[in-house]
Amino acid sequence: MKFIVFLKMVPDVIEELKIADDGKTLDSNWIRMKLSECDENAVEEAVILKEKFGGTVTAVALDAPELDDALFNALAKGADKAVKIVGEWKDVRSPAIAEIFAKYLRDNYPIDNQTLILSGSQSIDDIEGELVYYLGELLNLPAFGVITHVDYDAGQNRISLVKEFAGGLRGEFESEVPAVIGIQAAEKPPRYIPIAKIRAIMKSASIEEVEIPLDGIPSGAVIDKLFEPETSGKAEMLEGSTDEIIEKLIGIFSDKGII
Amino acid sequence: MDPVDINIYGIQGVYILWVLTAISMFFFLRRIVKIVGILKKAKPENRFENIKEHIVNFILFVLGQKKIFGERTIGLPHFFFFWGFVFYAGSFWWNLIRGLIPVLPIPYSDEVGIVALALEITGVLVILSIIVAVLRRIFFPPAHLQQSFDAVIILSLIAILMITLLLGQGYNGTLEASVWSPIGGIIASGLTGISESTAIAAFKAFWWVHIIAVLFFLAYIPYSKHMHLLASPFNVLFRNNSQPADLTINSKSEDVTTGASKWNEFTWKDLLNSFSCAECGRCDRACPALNSGMPLAPRVILHKIKEQMYETGFKSTGNGIPELFAEKISKEELWQCTTCMSCMQQCPVLNEHIPVIVSMRRFLINQGEVEQTVQDVLQKITRYGNSFGQSDRNRAKWVTTLEPKIKDARKEEVEYLWITGDYAAFDTRLQGITQKTAMIFQKAGLDFGILYEAEKNSGNDVRRIGEEGLFEIVKEKNIQSMQKAKFKKIITTDPHTYNTLKNEYKLNANGNSISVHHYTEVIDELIRNNKFSVNKKLNIRATYHDPCYLGRYNGVYEPPRKILKSIGITLVEMPRNKAKSYCCGAGGGRIWMEDKTPVKERPSENRIREAVSLKDVSTLVVACPKDIVMFQDAIKTTGNEEKIEVKDISELVFEAMG
Repeated sequence: MKFIVFLKMVPDVIEELKIADDGKTLDSNWIRMKLSECDENAVEEAVILKEKFGGTVTAVALDAPELDDALFNALAKGADKAVKIVGEWKDVRSPAIAEIFAKYLRDNYPIDNQTLILSGSQSIDDIEGELVYYLGELLNLPAFGVITHVDYDAGQNRISLVKEFAGGLRGEFESEVPAVIGIQAAEKPPRYIPIAKIRAIMKSASIEEVEIPLDGIPSGAVIDKLFEPETSGKAEMLEGSTDEIIEKLIGIFSDKGII
Repeated sequence: MDPVDINIYGIQGVYILWVLTAISMFFFLRRIVKIVGILKKAKPENRFENIKEHIVNFILFVLGQKKIFGERTIGLPHFFFFWGFVFYAGSFWWNLIRGLIPVLPIPYSDEVGIVALALEITGVLVILSIIVAVLRRIFFPPAHLQQSFDAVIILSLIAILMITLLLGQGYNGTLEASVWSPIGGIIASGLTGISESTAIAAFKAFWWVHIIAVLFFLAYIPYSKHMHLLASPFNVLFRNNSQPADLTINSKSEDVTTGASKWNEFTWKDLLNSFSCAECGRCDRACPALNSGMPLAPRVILHKIKEQMYETGFKSTGNGIPELFAEKISKEELWQCTTCMSCMQQCPVLNEHIPVIVSMRRFLINQGEVEQTVQDVLQKITRYGNSFGQSDRNRAKWVTTLEPKIKDARKEEVEYLWITGDYAAFDTRLQGITQKTAMIFQKAGLDFGILYEAEKNSGNDVRRIGEEGLFEIVKEKNIQSMQKAKFKKIITTDPHTYNTLKNEYKLNANGNSISVHHYTEVIDELIRNNKFSVNKKLNIRATYHDPCYLGRYNGVYEPPRKILKSIGITLVEMPRNKAKSYCCGAGGGRIWMEDKTPVKERPSENRIREAVSLKDVSTLVVACPKDIVMFQDAIKTTGNEEKIEVKDISELVFEAMG
């Protein structure tokens, strides 16, 4: 099997987020980038599948600050190849990212019936998890999001998947290969990679760079304005003895016209 | 009279002696060669520097038996065993050589008056010691003492040696009285009326029993727990002198930080620990993990490695050795070690348990095998430089309300650079205490500054978890930041930070090493130099908990006590204080782990129980941020909120300043 994992970096929300002067983007002086959590799970799942069924794992990511660390991490985990996609584009959203990934595949990575494409099922700038479906559409392949389990039947060359639904429901799917899968959670939490191993990989392995030209990439939705959440109301704690609280509560209810 | 001069079925004594010696030496040497062979297959480590210190250790801990006296009942008896052994061994070789080579123009050892006297006195002292040892084993054995059959054999053998010598002296005394043989004389006085020939025969018989017993003993030693008698002097001689529980393996030829999972992946000195263990159980008795009902036992760890060496080490190749984790040592127990160093503190043969445990942790970390909570923390430290997973920028949040502002040591020159450590800076329960410490420094006019967001987790506990690579990274980053700052000395809040900065960072400026001080040392000095006045004596009774990494690791016992005294506090010591202080359970990365198995009583709870048992003491004083967290928790879980409160020493000093 050939597993290809598409990754992208997202702003690290642990750090303070500031809106840039244009009012549409985040101030890049302040943000740090990290691999999206679902993407980390996608890498883990790809490596787990490789360990189970054999094959190779290729990690492909859009260029961003601190990306090299994430790619070396993927290599240390067990990915065989890491690719950084560079280009003139800036601040691209899911439809454009899908287009870039699809272009990469068309030019560099022939898809055959042994290819499984994985990605994180969502990220903070891909809240609906649309990337996976855009990619499926562009490649004309079946696409599945919010996947928590992947199994492969080599004889039939089919995969079976478990997809999470709202309300604790799960669905089981079966699909032919190739397919596009959005991983919500790997079978096991992403493993720990000791620093020594990452350092060793940094010395021995390298990251391949592939340039994808800007032309022909749709912009998709455009951000008009970025703003911090506005406070719309607040909670009030009622204090005092039970009787006093009841008294206050009755007062509030009658003020609001409830009683 | 020559005791070797016997004749059994026409065979002369001297030939019998040659044969017996040859058999004994064969078994002895064969085993020793094999054991040395095992050590040679281990990883290299240079323990040959600082020869002078090695010799001092040898004098103190081998010849002086210093640690043995840590437990009083057996201390003196073992001292006599040791010196009795040395003395009798000397006498034995003397007599053996004399017996084997009859033409040698020297007397037997007991034919020299002064030696005979010494042998008799030693013999009596050793017999008394055996009685104590036997009574201890039968009637009041300490917990975790290994009641092995081995011990019975050895004690019996020693008894046989002493009794045969004394009885021999007695029979000899019936032939000719000597002022050098008072015990022999006493025994002889009870043997009146026996004939000369009987006396000679009995004397010779006891001589032979004695020498055969020694020859048996000699062959038996390397097969038994009494291997410690051969290995421990070397173990002491080659102890690591640079720092307690040093995790730096001095080996130029091989990278040994990848850790160990089987005996041949340890260094030779790690393995020598196992051969030196006398199974006395002192380490186990002191271990907070074991006392909490967890499976970890430091003695068993060493023992299991020895077991594996004996099972697989004598084969010619090192292939096919199973991992220790397969059946001998569980990964779980390795993670239970708090690295409090009680085991090493107690060990009479100076075994180094913690480096062995950390070595195995390093192996697990290198396999990526680490529990989720620890993995999260390691990743947080990797990415954000702190164990709280917060932005760098939050590190100095606690200073924002302080006036005057705390200097940024990267921008202004200061005398002291203050490294607070993660807990004091990020934990909301501790920030108030850190502010009070800062205010004490400010009121005392101390010239100090901090690194603001450039300070990173110091890596003390990261290293003890076994993540050597990450330790190196945070260390490099901190050193880089420090090189950009201008300062003369360092103050630390967290004893864990203190330990690694002091012993493992090897900080220096212009070739001079930079001194590292714990805040209690600095405050103590400020008080002694009258830099601030104590306006309000506190007049309370309190007890003080010695943090492992401040006390046992670095010997800082007095400064906190002096501070308490000068602010009017009556210090009531807990039974386990100073070097015997009982770990709170937070060290070695334990603070980031969850108890997987049900715990009988957490170390911190055990310690609170000890503190509340003191009469009229309602304050437990600590000098470590992690202690506040651990003990506040333990006070709640043990329901002792009414009885005791935990206070950082800074809070009390601040209160006393008025």
